[in-house]
Formats: sequence, structure tokens, C-alpha cells
Amino acid sequence: MEFTVSKTDLVRELNFSQGVVEKKTTIPILSNVLVEAAGDRINLTATDLELGIRSSCPARVKKQGAGTIPAKRLLDYVRLLPDADLEVKLQDNQWASLVCGRSRTRIAGMSRESFPELPQMPDVLAQIPVGVLASMIARTIFAISMEESRFTLNGSLLMLKSSGLSMVATDGHRLAMVEHPVELPGVTSPFRALLPRKAMGEILKLGQDSSPDAMLSFSGDENHLFFQFGQRLLLSRKLTGNFPDFERVLPKDHPHFVALDREELRKSIERVSQFSDERSRAVRMRVQEGELHIHSSLSETGESEDSLPADYDGSPVEIGFNASYLLDFLRASSEEKVTFHFKDPNSAGELRPAANGEPGYKYRYVVMPMRI
Amino acid sequence: MKTYFHVDMDAFFVSVEELFDPSLIGKPVVVGGQANQRGVVSAASYAARKFGVHSAMPLRTAHRLCPQAIFVDGHPTRYREYSGKVYQVLKSFSPQVDMASVDEAYMDLTGTERLHGPPLSAAHRLHDAMKRSTALNCSIGIAASRMVAKVASDQAKPNGVLWVLPGEEARFLAPLDVRKIPGVGKVTEKNLQAWGVRKVGDLAALDEDFLRQHLGQWGLALAGKSRGMDAGGWFDGEVGDDNTPKSISHEFTFNEDTADSDTLESTLARLSEMVARRLREHDLHARTIQLKLRYSDFSTITRAHSFDHGTQLDTEIFQQIRALFRANRKANSTIRLLGVHASGLKPAEGQLNMLDETNTNRWRKAMSAVDRLRDKFGEDSVSLAMGLRGRFRERVHENPAGLPGKTAGKTPREGGER
Repeated sequence: MEFTVSKTDLVRELNFSQGVVEKKTTIPILSNVLVEAAGDRINLTATDLELGIRSSCPARVKKQGAGTIPAKRLLDYVRLLPDADLEVKLQDNQWASLVCGRSRTRIAGMSRESFPELPQMPDVLAQIPVGVLASMIARTIFAISMEESRFTLNGSLLMLKSSGLSMVATDGHRLAMVEHPVELPGVTSPFRALLPRKAMGEILKLGQDSSPDAMLSFSGDENHLFFQFGQRLLLSRKLTGNFPDFERVLPKDHPHFVALDREELRKSIERVSQFSDERSRAVRMRVQEGELHIHSSLSETGESEDSLPADYDGSPVEIGFNASYLLDFLRASSEEKVTFHFKDPNSAGELRPAANGEPGYKYRYVVMPMRI
Repeated sequence: MKTYFHVDMDAFFVSVEELFDPSLIGKPVVVGGQANQRGVVSAASYAARKFGVHSAMPLRTAHRLCPQAIFVDGHPTRYREYSGKVYQVLKSFSPQVDMASVDEAYMDLTGTERLHGPPLSAAHRLHDAMKRSTALNCSIGIAASRMVAKVASDQAKPNGVLWVLPGEEARFLAPLDVRKIPGVGKVTEKNLQAWGVRKVGDLAALDEDFLRQHLGQWGLALAGKSRGMDAGGWFDGEVGDDNTPKSISHEFTFNEDTADSDTLESTLARLSEMVARRLREHDLHARTIQLKLRYSDFSTITRAHSFDHGTQLDTEIFQQIRALFRANRKANSTIRLLGVHASGLKPAEGQLNMLDETNTNRWRKAMSAVDRLRDKFGEDSVSLAMGLRGRFRERVHENPAGLPGKTAGKTPREGGER
């Protein structure tokens, strides 16, 4: 294999492989990126067996072929080269020689024979606007469980219908759900799958490099999900198991709500939670006539209180919450006003963008209270 | 200047047994189990102690030393009941009572002269009241520090009262063996002996810096103690301080080591139930639970799990304990001892769960009903099915190491369980 490629192109594409290549060296070949040269392009493939990414960039191919090169070492080196053309030549002993201007390097590679074969993308199921998917991910990804033992909660539930797209994530303490009425005419029967957190992170990265109006092609087979962004393909193994019956836990209605300025609320909670327990992050939210009180105290350290004006004339209700959970929502949403819906100290509370939020999205964030 | 009483019941378990079976009076009696059983002595009568029998000694050793001794099983419920009576008597003398274990307590009688008279006469009245209400003897030490009061009650035994006048502490302590200082065990004693320190007076003569250098903070505490001051660990608090438990645990040693998974898991179920029951008694929720596992060769492992919320439910604790057990036990190994330990205790459960809340709520209600049944019909009236087969006779210990606060609990019911 022998080709010439622009350094800038190669760095950009290699960057996408970094989130995917195996960091631990349990299977050495998975630390490598597969480079295939044919026609007027090179294809780059990386996988950790859960997640795979295939991208490509133009190149002048002198001799077609394929080989694997340690991904991190290759990127770390190429990044330091001047912005110029880079000549890559793979020798029979699997060493890759790199020549760029007056710089010459040889990197030990491995044969492509032992590189795992990635599944083929089946027929495209739907065209989804990149911006819509990315913003749905950003609104749910923080609610995914970090506990590896709860593996069905280590990703989001992705649902496609002809009339729209929805995504739900929960860690058992809070649940984020977002729906968008994008038309997906190709989806004849509803499609559900569990999308792992790591794949969601990679979709966000790939999305940043595309224009928000660009479309991605989505598809799925029995075990995998496929996201094609132009020349780049991300594929992910589905999470297996049953996502909890979230509709059962979604509150049907709340007797009370108050509308609040999102930024004011965020800042208040950030201030007050400086005086909450580092682990539990508990703050008390007290809704009373005309205002919302936020209060937190640490017996040995100090206490803090903030209040926000709120249109409320019911009897006072005080509910404990984990401040981090509330902040996650307030940082992820972009609307000016939010509404806080509640019942009593033992029932789930809910945050939503106020009625005229960003058009299109229906966003609900349900948080279980704390007993303090 | 403070006035502390340390009230220590004389041979508590044995004395209680004597109330139920007067034929034991004056005989060498060993409480804790039968002579041929595995396990340790919970308590020995003064007659048995003459033969060298003491608490925490294996029952079989006790039998060898004193073959004529009468061995009786312990009755934890009886001791708790009498401990409760003792507490009531003490409570009528001072609101500041700390039960340090099932059979001893510290009292703060500072400023009660107008009510009770001078300390010595107050002590005599307490002594009489104790005998009248419980039919049990106690010994009382009086001093300006709890440390000296404890040593004094020991010197007053049996059935005596000893007042160490303020200012006389060092002189009182000096001729005593260092072992008499609460907290000094075999290890510290050996260390001290290596420096030629045998009596408390020798210890008081040592340089504080020297002690700190060699024993750290504990060395400093020792220096303080040798001069009669309350220092170190439990003594740093005040009588009547908030002393909600920091952890709650139950352990069980099998009569015969076993490798039978059913027996082992049902024992864990039983231990989990006992821990959960006590968590609820104290209105506490545990964030962390720990499994203790001792194999036949005495090698011991502990494995812990932390919840993202607090729990006091038998089922939740047992589920995790069993998972830890299954994940960590060496296959087919025979096991000598199992223990369940709960820590990270908080008054509220913290974060509620969205997905299991309905189920958890059902268990909460069920457990509170179970507790009411147990209060009325006894601890064994209701149990998890799994725990039924793991039922065992609870063992009890008087405070063998003589460490105040070692088994300290809020209520007298707590003491003595280890």
C-alpha cells in the first residue's frame, strides 16, 4: 500500500477514531486503526468491538492495499507535522513509513488479517436531521446511569415513528425524555433500540463537524445501530435487555407548578448548593406564597438561602432534591423560562421548558425527591 | 470540677442467671454455652474466676480450668430486660446517663449536691436503690473524670463504692498495673513493658513527646490517662452527647464450620434481618453494607457495597449481602464465621428511587408491621422465609476488653451485642 494524503485531512479523520480505539491493550489490534487505500481515497476504520467508526478522505493512491497502525501514536505524531502532503508506504513486514517534507518516521503496524470485520450497513431506515438528533442527545445523555451493573440504563432508549423521534434516559433517580415531530416517512413500523452512552458521545462529536441541517442516514439490524454522516459511518452494538417501563413512572399530572427564569434558578441553585453535602448534594426547595426558597445547610460548615419570585398562592410545600440533578437540566436546556411542577415531598417533581420554548421539542425532566 | 459516677454491675450475666435459678448462687458458673461447645465465655461468676476463667475465653478452655463449673446458655433477652431496669434506676438519679455497655454506665452528677447530698452518700443511696429495684449488686466509682471513675469502680468490686478525691488521681493510679487503664490491651502493655513501664506511675513519669513519637495520638491520650484525665477515643465526648451508633453489625460463628450454601445464605438472611431491625429501631438508614467472611483457616475477608440511597430494609440488605457473598466466597470453602455490618448511617434515606419506589414502599409498610409483631410476640415471631432456617441462638458478651464505649449504643438494649 502506498499513498499521499493531506496532513490536515488525515488528522481530522483520525480524531474521530480516538474515542473508539481500545485504550486498554487487552486485544492489541484494537488499538490500531485500519487503513485501506483504493481508488482515490483512503478508508480509516477503528473499533473496540462495541463501537466502530469508518471514515475516509481523498488521497493519491499509488499502490492499493491495507494495513493497521497504532491509532494514538499515529495521530500524536502526524499532528506535529507541518501542514503539507504526507507520503505513507506500508512495507511487507507491516512497518509503515511516513515521509513529510524533511521528516521521516517508521511505525510498527500489524497485519490487517487479524482486524475484526465490521458489519455491513443494511438498508437505510430513515433520514434524520443531524441537529435534531444531536440536540436530543444533549438533552438526555446526563441522565444515563453511571452504574455499570445497571446495564440497561447505560444508554438511551431511541424510538422512531413515522411521525417523530423520541429519546428517553434514566438512572433510576431522574428521567429525561425528549420528543421531536420530525417526519420520518421511511419508518413504517415503530422502531425501538437502546443506544449506548459512548455511541451518543461520538454522535455529538460527528454532529459538531456537520451542518445542523445536514441529514444522517440511520439504520439498524438485530444487534447494531448505524449512523452515516456523509462519508463517515458510526456503528454501535445495541444494549441488550429491557429498558424500564418509563411510561408507568411518568407523572400523569402535578397539582401545582411555578414558572421561573431558567438562568436565575440555575445561579441560585449553584450558589446554595455550595453548602450541601458533597455526596448527596441535597438542597431544599420550598414553594410558598409569591416565591420559591432554595435552602441548604451543612451543620459544621454553614448554610445558604436564595429566593426567586414565583407566581404561587397555594399552601407551602418543601421538597428535597439533589442539586446536581436539577442543574443538569437547567444547563442542558436553552429556553429562557422553565416550569417546575410538583405535588408533595414524596412524589416526583418535574422541570419543563415553559410553553413557548424552542419550537418542535417536547422536553420533560422528572426528578425523584430526597428525604433529608 | 465535674463529678462522674461509673456504675458497673457485678458479674451481671451470672447475677441475672442466679435470679432465675437461685441454686447457682455461690457456685462456679460459666455463661455462654455448654462445656463441649465451640464459642467463648460470656461471663463467669466470681467463684469460677478464681480458677482463671474469664470472659472471651473459649468454653472448652474454661472447662479444662474448672471442670466442676456449671455451664449455662446465655439469655440475651433476660440481660436486656435487666439492663433496661438498671437504666431506669440510673435515670432516676441523673438525666445524664450513658450506658457504655449492657452492664455499665457513666453518669454526670455535677451540681446535684443539693438534691442528692455529697457524692459518697448519693452513691450509697444509688447502691441501695439498685439492690431494691433489681436485686442486683453493683460497684460505683466516683471521680472528676470518667476514666478514673471507671478504674475506681473496678477497684471497688465487688459491691463497693470508691471515691477518688479531686487532686488525688495520680496518686490513686500510680501503683496500679497499666492494664487497668481502659484501652490498654495486650499490645500496648507489651510495648510499654519493653520500655520498663509496668505501673501507671511509670507511665506518668514518661515524656509526652516520647509517647507521641512511638504511639502517635494514642500515646498522647495515654499520657493524659496516666494523670487521670479523660482523653482519647470515646472519652473525648461528654456524657449525654449524641451517641447515635456509627455502625451496626451482627456476626455468627458456626458450631461446626460449614460449606453448605443453603445454611450459609440463610444465616446471612438472618443476620441481615437483625441488622435491618436495629437500623429501624434507631431510625437510621445505612448507605454502606459489608460482608465479613472467615474461613476455617481463620483467613478473613470483608467486602462492602454502597447504595446510592440509605436503606433499612431486610430484603434490600440481604440481596446485596448475598450478591457479595456469591461473588467473593472461595468455591466450596468451609466457613467459620459470617458477619453483616452496616455503616454510613443517616437519619433519612436520601434519594428516592423512581423505578422501584412502589415496591420499596410496600416493603417499608410490611417491615413496620413486622416490627410491631416482633415487639408484641418476640423477635422470632416473624422472619424472611430465607432467614427461618438460619435461626440461631444469639450470643452475648459482657465487655471483655473493658473498653468503655466499645459497644456503646443509645439505649441499654444495644449493649453487649457484638
